[in-house]
Amino acid sequence: MALPQRRTDIGPPHYKDFLPPVIQKNYGDWKYHEILSPGVMVHVANSGDKIWSVRVASPRLLSTDTIRDMAAIAEKYCGGYIRFTTRNNVEFLVSDEKNLEPLQKELKDKKYMMGGIGNRISNIVHTQGWVHCHSAASDASGLVKVLMDEFADYFTTKETPNKVRMAVACCVNMCGAVHCSDIAVVAIHRKVPTIDHDKVKNMCEVPSTIAACPTGAISPEPSKKSVKINADKCMYCGNCFTVCPPIEIHDPEYDGVAIVVGGKVGNLRSNPKFSKLAIPFIKNNPPRWPEVTSAVRKILDAYVAGAKKHERVGEWIERIGWEKFFKITGLPFTFQHIDDFVIARETFRTAATFKW
Amino acid sequence: MPKKYETPLLDELEKGPFPSFVTEIKKAAAKNDMAADELGQLEKSYRDKRGYWKHGGIVGVRGYGSGVIGRYSSLPEEFPNVANFHTVRINSIAGFFYTSKFLKEACDIWDKYGSGLTNLHGSTGDFVLLGTTTENLEPIFAEFSSRGWDLGGSGSALRTPSCCVGPARCEWSNIDTLDITYSITQEWQDEMHRPAFPYKFKFKTAGCAVDCIASIARADCSIIGTWKGNIAVDQAEVANYAKKGMNIQEEIVNMCPSKCMSYDGKELKINDADCVRCMHCIAKMTKALKPTGEKGATILIGSKAPFVIGATLSWVIVPFIKMEPPYDEFKDLIRKMWEFWDEHGKNRERIGELIIRKGMREFLEYIGIEPQAQQVKEPRRDPFFFWTEADLQK
Amino acid sequence: MEKEEVKKKIYELVEKSMGKKKLKSSDIQKTISAEAGISRDEVKDALKDLIDEGKLIYTYFGGSFVEIPPK
Repeated sequence: MALPQRRTDIGPPHYKDFLPPVIQKNYGDWKYHEILSPGVMVHVANSGDKIWSVRVASPRLLSTDTIRDMAAIAEKYCGGYIRFTTRNNVEFLVSDEKNLEPLQKELKDKKYMMGGIGNRISNIVHTQGWVHCHSAASDASGLVKVLMDEFADYFTTKETPNKVRMAVACCVNMCGAVHCSDIAVVAIHRKVPTIDHDKVKNMCEVPSTIAACPTGAISPEPSKKSVKINADKCMYCGNCFTVCPPIEIHDPEYDGVAIVVGGKVGNLRSNPKFSKLAIPFIKNNPPRWPEVTSAVRKILDAYVAGAKKHERVGEWIERIGWEKFFKITGLPFTFQHIDDFVIARETFRTAATFKW
Repeated sequence: MPKKYETPLLDELEKGPFPSFVTEIKKAAAKNDMAADELGQLEKSYRDKRGYWKHGGIVGVRGYGSGVIGRYSSLPEEFPNVANFHTVRINSIAGFFYTSKFLKEACDIWDKYGSGLTNLHGSTGDFVLLGTTTENLEPIFAEFSSRGWDLGGSGSALRTPSCCVGPARCEWSNIDTLDITYSITQEWQDEMHRPAFPYKFKFKTAGCAVDCIASIARADCSIIGTWKGNIAVDQAEVANYAKKGMNIQEEIVNMCPSKCMSYDGKELKINDADCVRCMHCIAKMTKALKPTGEKGATILIGSKAPFVIGATLSWVIVPFIKMEPPYDEFKDLIRKMWEFWDEHGKNRERIGELIIRKGMREFLEYIGIEPQAQQVKEPRRDPFFFWTEADLQK
Repeated sequence: MEKEEVKKKIYELVEKSMGKKKLKSSDIQKTISAEAGISRDEVKDALKDLIDEGKLIYTYFGGSFVEIPPK
């Protein structure tokens, strides 16, 4: 069969064609919303019109079978209208209140996991991992699965003091907002890469490989038409590997994950902040990474026990102090926690005020 | 029938309450050779604790340098059906709204020409089709584009702009995030599909400072809706919140970062001149508090992940700009920024890194923006500063 | 300058650079517009033609480049 005529530079279709009629009618004229249950919220317009959103969890990696099933459910109860959230959850958009109960019943029967709205652990933003990425030092989907299994009740029912935004990145390239999440797992390498000089000669540009290094550890090796790495300066980021694949950074024995905490992107109450290092290394232990889930559990429990209402993880830690955070979580404080990258001196304590 | 792999390790990830990505891969693997080999290779990764993918290369659709990411198995003999396993990025709908009709069509195309696996959505916000062969790229593009869909960005190009749900379904939005996203996407199709930048460039648009799209952490240009004017207080609704158990002193007044609120048990007062518009009180007491006056956006530049100089958050360049169609003032400003980047940027240098390297002054002068105290947290503390000849004559 | 002539100049530039330095689209635009005294947009337009015809292609190696397709 002949292919249809291709078109270029048309861009995406107009969003108006994908909005439920009640949204088109009340666009930009919403008054307030209320969370009716962990998986259901209603938005009320100034006109009095309402739209209900029923949220279910998604692993982000979806098969066409599952997407078709979601589409069929949306057709049955939502006039075919469905959206995805910025954290990869799925929202069924209900315009007719009488569809709300039957929709939830069908979702429950089909084992969809409803929840994630309000002060809870919503889904975990993550990267490709071993599923599809060249530079992964761990698997993102697997870590998300075991963490969300561990904290499923914080998605479906239980509340946290404020939203807990989690993220997983399968390398320090950090596709996704790991560097500004409440609790995040980031996979790291810990060994200086090895270089296949014959391949470097054919596949890589020496200047761009040198420029890719954040610490200036890479210099030319003219005799081999290649590069060399100063082991004392290398911080194992793997950026050289991305620019020049014959520089091999993977090391199954020494690769693993770090855990960072206390970041946020919203401006509410306190300014957006970066996540900071809590645990420098946990070995890769697939398929279920039990050491990672128990470490995150320890941090989350301390936050839930210690934070005031509305405080995010980072706000709680800043109020009590980082030294106190390490004390109450029992996490060891190591050389790796003290910054020695370009912004190090900004983090040194220049006051005599701290807690024992 | 696709090859069936034993997957004892991955099977462990089908247990537990959260929906399983392994189950998803298995659903596709039951009828698709590529998905079957993806599953087999992933099991091997779990066994060996390492990935087996190679990246880069020369794949794409004719005329474009964007939208397709080359991906190859490093074990093509063992897993021949993923020897080529490229990603196709379809430009998503602003706000991530879809219809069942589109989703079903996309599934039909993808089952015919790809692995049957997707990412909804990728980190930048594309509708991601995960894994196909080189020869199927043109048919996929023909099928999607003939139905009105186009590819998103990749490489040294404008990446697919994305936004929060905005005025479509949120009462806090100060700007039309969906329209802005649609407008800039359409305006700069060439910049998206024919990579000509030093490196990637991302736009993210948030309707307010809650920033549900994480624009301040993940966009070279963060557009964040804000207002100039007072917060209107409905005291009857304030009383309702108090009646329902909200401790207004503790939860609202004490948590205000600029200490511009007070509450005497009856009346909530706001000193609007001191408000920094953080959104905490409005988000917690939506029915009682509403921004009034002029609406617009703060434009911040420069956030990115750690490579190369460490992670950055976007910083303020334009404290306030009106954002109304056709957004000419904003677009002209962006074009000037791109010119500056084109002139001075090195390969793989993000615009934020360039500004840090060249200094804010050179950037601001180039784009024609005055120095303003809102652009910094504090003035410089070192005594080392430049004077131009023109400065000396002032 | 005729578009065909611009296209020829672009192709020669990419050919000459092969194996030495990968060129980005902006490198080509800057070099040719300066050499031929024409606008960036004219170079861009000619480059678009070359890519559409398949005489040149975009490649990605940690950045996007313009190259001659492999035989």
